[in-house]
Amino acid sequence: MKFKDYLKDKLYLIIITFLAIGLIFLLFTAFRLEKYVIYSGIAIFLISNLIILLFDYFRKKRFYNDLLENISNLDKAYLVLETLENPEFYEGKIMYQALYEINKSFLENVNYINNSKKDFKEYVEMWIHEVKMPLLSLSLIINNHKSDINSSLMFQLKRLEDYVDQVLYYVRSENAEKDYLIKEIDLNSIIKNIALKNMDDLLDNQIEFIVEKTNVKVLSDSKWLEFILGQIVNNAIKYKKDIENSYIKIIVQEEKTKVTLVVEDNGIGIKKSDIKQVFNKSFTGENGRARSKSTGMGLYIAKKMCEKLGHKISIESVEGQYTRVYITFSKDKFFEPIK
Amino acid sequence: MEKILVIEDDDAIKLELKRLLESSNYRVEILEDFDNSLDIMLLSDADLILLDINIPNLNGESLLKEFRKKSNKPVIMVTSLVSDITEAISMSYGADDYITKPYNSNILLLRIGAVLRRVNKTTDFLKFKDLTINISKGIIKKGDIEIILTKNEMIIFSYLVSNQNRIVSRDELMTALWNNDEYINDNALTVNISRLRTKLKEIGLEDAIDTRKGMGYILS
Repeated sequence: MKFKDYLKDKLYLIIITFLAIGLIFLLFTAFRLEKYVIYSGIAIFLISNLIILLFDYFRKKRFYNDLLENISNLDKAYLVLETLENPEFYEGKIMYQALYEINKSFLENVNYINNSKKDFKEYVEMWIHEVKMPLLSLSLIINNHKSDINSSLMFQLKRLEDYVDQVLYYVRSENAEKDYLIKEIDLNSIIKNIALKNMDDLLDNQIEFIVEKTNVKVLSDSKWLEFILGQIVNNAIKYKKDIENSYIKIIVQEEKTKVTLVVEDNGIGIKKSDIKQVFNKSFTGENGRARSKSTGMGLYIAKKMCEKLGHKISIESVEGQYTRVYITFSKDKFFEPIK
Repeated sequence: MEKILVIEDDDAIKLELKRLLESSNYRVEILEDFDNSLDIMLLSDADLILLDINIPNLNGESLLKEFRKKSNKPVIMVTSLVSDITEAISMSYGADDYITKPYNSNILLLRIGAVLRRVNKTTDFLKFKDLTINISKGIIKKGDIEIILTKNEMIIFSYLVSNQNRIVSRDELMTALWNNDEYINDNALTVNISRLRTKLKEIGLEDAIDTRKGMGYILS
């Protein structure tokens, strides 16, 4: 609250005061009062008005300045009321009360939405848990009844499973709750699980799966990391070139302060104009549209999950040559003594 | 034949799981009376228990905890809740392994086999006819004759030996190889099998690996 602006706001008072002074002057002069009576009368009037103005200004200044300052300092501005005292002046009281009511109804609304979001998440998780039963039954039935169409049935089943997982990790990564457990995990076993999961796809597509042996351990959640790596490998399979020597290569690089997992493929690559957007929600790009199998969600979810876990994910590619995805894990000194 | 006790509430899965395990030369007992699960688990003569954690009105985790107080029998926990938190809890209650639904049949069989071998302490040695197989050293011995197998050949041979009374599909062999971080392709599998055949021939086991067209291989 600036005094200049305050005065501007009170301009009507000042004008009325000076008009009043003019009238008093004329009136007193008409009554032929002594000059010193006129001037001291006007002085008293002027000073008392000035005092009223200043008093009013300082009374309001504290409240409004605190309000504005705290709003700009808080990262959650809606909590500002908690930092303020109920003001002494009438308008302030109205303002305070109004803010209180607005805040309350706003928070109720937010709570309602949060609760329904939580309910929805719980429902989705439960649904996923349920839908896995028929998926498993199907997979066992197909396995128990060998036929020529087994591999195509299994392929479709795997697609279903992948889409279901995508929903699961989408709700998990969107949620504020902590659904993961950071512990020391062996990258080799994560890579192996991904390899086994995609074995049929890799063999059918004649993609060489090359893994440099590693015994590096990182701090992460194994299920989450498995999903993230799964998305990357899925993409590499989906966007392979129609050549004989397709490959997907996984390399783990350990440095002093970080570990980097690199997934490289010699697939169709990503257009320069598309590469900045591959982590965006629902972005399919030219490749996704050309192969028409893309939801544009995989890498978006993977990135969100990486952010939550504290990993860095980045991508580089030359169209028609290769794509490399990097996941960087920082080595946390804090955890060293536990190992 | 080893016996597996299956605790599972989904009828279709129960049926197919029984089929799968029986065709892999296991005897199968299915727990039907969920009210007395703990007693049945304790009384059963099964060699391994496959326990679903998420059966309604049956807390799999506390069931395992109670069971562990009285028995060391191997238990593989099965769940459809994919979470490191539930996995950590199950393992801390004494599960020997943990597998999430929907699992791949071959991988389930591998995990069961691995747990059983671990408890029977037969991880390192296998026997086939008059052969002694030292898996970790990669050596097959017949009397004084020794031949050395490569890692891949040993994975294939030990898998065939462990499942010697039935036909093993190429897919199963492939899964076993990939499960040991050997991500080889179809051609390489064929090459490995023919090399293995040649080596077996050297110690007098001609035609030990029989090809069943369209189905797989069987030891004879």
